[in-house]
Amino acid sequence: MTSFEIGLATLGAMMVLVYAGLWVPIALMLCSYVGVWMIKGSPLLAGKLLALAASETISSYFFGVVPLFVLMGFLVSVSGLGRDAYDVANQLFRRVKGGLGVSTVAANAIFAAITGISIASAAVFTRIAVPEMVRHGYTGKFSVGVVAGSSVLGMLIPPSLLLILYGLLTEQSVGDLFLAGVLPGILLAIVFAGGVISMAYFWPSFIGENLSEDTEHDMGSAEMAKKGLPILALILLVLGGIYAGVFTPIEAGAVGCLGAIIIGLFRRTLTLSNFWEVLTDTGLVTASVCFLIIAAQMYSRMLALSGVPQEFGVFVATADIGFWGVIIAYVVLLIVMGTILDSSSIMLIMVPLMLPVIQPLGVDLVWFGIVTVIAVEIGLLTPPFGISVFVIKSTLDDESISLGEIFRGAAPFALMMVVVLLAVLVYPPLTTALIQ
Amino acid sequence: MTMETTPEPSGSGTAGKIRRAADGISNTLNVIGTIMIVGLVILVNADVIGRNAFLAPVSGVPEIVSMSIVAIVFLQVSQAFRMGRFTRTDALLDAVARRSKRVRNAMEFVYVIAAFVLIWLLFSASVPLFEKSWQRQSYVGTVGDFTFPDWPVKLVILIGCAALLMQLAISGAVALWGIIHPAEDDGAGQ
Repeated sequence: MTSFEIGLATLGAMMVLVYAGLWVPIALMLCSYVGVWMIKGSPLLAGKLLALAASETISSYFFGVVPLFVLMGFLVSVSGLGRDAYDVANQLFRRVKGGLGVSTVAANAIFAAITGISIASAAVFTRIAVPEMVRHGYTGKFSVGVVAGSSVLGMLIPPSLLLILYGLLTEQSVGDLFLAGVLPGILLAIVFAGGVISMAYFWPSFIGENLSEDTEHDMGSAEMAKKGLPILALILLVLGGIYAGVFTPIEAGAVGCLGAIIIGLFRRTLTLSNFWEVLTDTGLVTASVCFLIIAAQMYSRMLALSGVPQEFGVFVATADIGFWGVIIAYVVLLIVMGTILDSSSIMLIMVPLMLPVIQPLGVDLVWFGIVTVIAVEIGLLTPPFGISVFVIKSTLDDESISLGEIFRGAAPFALMMVVVLLAVLVYPPLTTALIQ
Repeated sequence: MTMETTPEPSGSGTAGKIRRAADGISNTLNVIGTIMIVGLVILVNADVIGRNAFLAPVSGVPEIVSMSIVAIVFLQVSQAFRMGRFTRTDALLDAVARRSKRVRNAMEFVYVIAAFVLIWLLFSASVPLFEKSWQRQSYVGTVGDFTFPDWPVKLVILIGCAALLMQLAISGAVALWGIIHPAEDDGAGQ
């Protein structure tokens, strides 16, 4: 077997192992170990590769802030800022048909500007928005679907952990990537809101037959300000600080944590026990994500040794499928992988593989990053592996809504994301317009 | 992805005692890692505030952050495994479990052995890295500004791998028990 064939064989083996239910990081490690052993003929060398990847991969300032962004997301949720965003949005959209659905989208968009991970949004709004919508006549299926759909805004509207990860892999400016995510994020929120309103008019069997509007929580402007200001302050602190150059996007996670802690203490929503709970959870999320990153790094080192990415690049360059052929094949592959893997694993596997292929084509890597994130996030909503959907299922108290129903409810939103993805593909200025 | 945790240790036999001791170790490492995260929040903020308000940046923040993250991950990795936070696709495993709990346990046993072997390889290949950095007293940072030895991080990698091996061994034992006595986790009356 040539090393190229070995590389390809491990790709196939990995897909089989992951489907068969082996833990993803272990599957990646196994394929890298066996791959290097076969290519170099030395188990010792293969072991060395594992050890070096473990101690080097995440030992950087960039990865160091992963727990801080995760913690910030969890802190703003226990501080009750999600609830407030939802209340304010409700007040604004109460007269619209399907208003509670629109509010969920809007509140998620606001919340996305202070958190960088989808799972935080999914968990928060499952608790707040789903019971409210169900009470006002929305179907369970739609209620969880709109929460799952709009939770992906968290990864697109800055700050975003996925964009930081992409910036690391491709050595692009994280600040530019954040700016590039703004317009597509807002566009996606508008498309979602428009979709909810049209479903309310034309597809009542899906969204709910007798929607009532929220009349019991009528807020005056003083109360609106009281609920809206802390969120606004935190958004200004985090995004303002980055763009005024007070701190780097990397440091924004830590500053945001401090801001959320102060707001939480001030409002007495943050207690010692829920602070500790949130911290432990942050640690576990960090450990599982970073361990996965380490394993994915081992795997991409093995692939580089096998020469598969290079051969793949040559193949694409000579196969004459052209620029759009490459991009469309890439997007389809990302969406397909999104059905079984989580977003950071896909990005860690695919981006290093694609980078040598697309760089000679003169692709704008910032635009490519946004395309990657949207495509990967579509996978978050599609069965059998949709991490947002799993988070919703595990946070949901309502046993009557099944996993299948959540996926069905999220399907229209996944379709709307495809529309936005096409818009970004066809019209790249959507991403680059804000970057001077 | 599954969120199932391994069942809490029960019984007062030797097996139960070992389980409790092992989980105690994982918990302790988890707590240390968690405290380090708080440390990172304080450190980065001290640097940002110090730099902007008092023109006094904290030295070595990037170095400390990049070393701590490795430590944080390896300190928590055994707990993350125990709490079922390792990403996996369970569609096939669930389908198998519906037909036969015994086959499901057998598959789990094979997976655990694969994981154990790999982590053991990682552990044994990491030992020389630790020895080298201990003997040469290598450090990170810039001389004159901030330097810190890098052996503690290499040691934490070894500790984390050892703790993960311990949790894997327990999972393997649980799966093996499930192969021999499939009825016991079948639930009542099956």
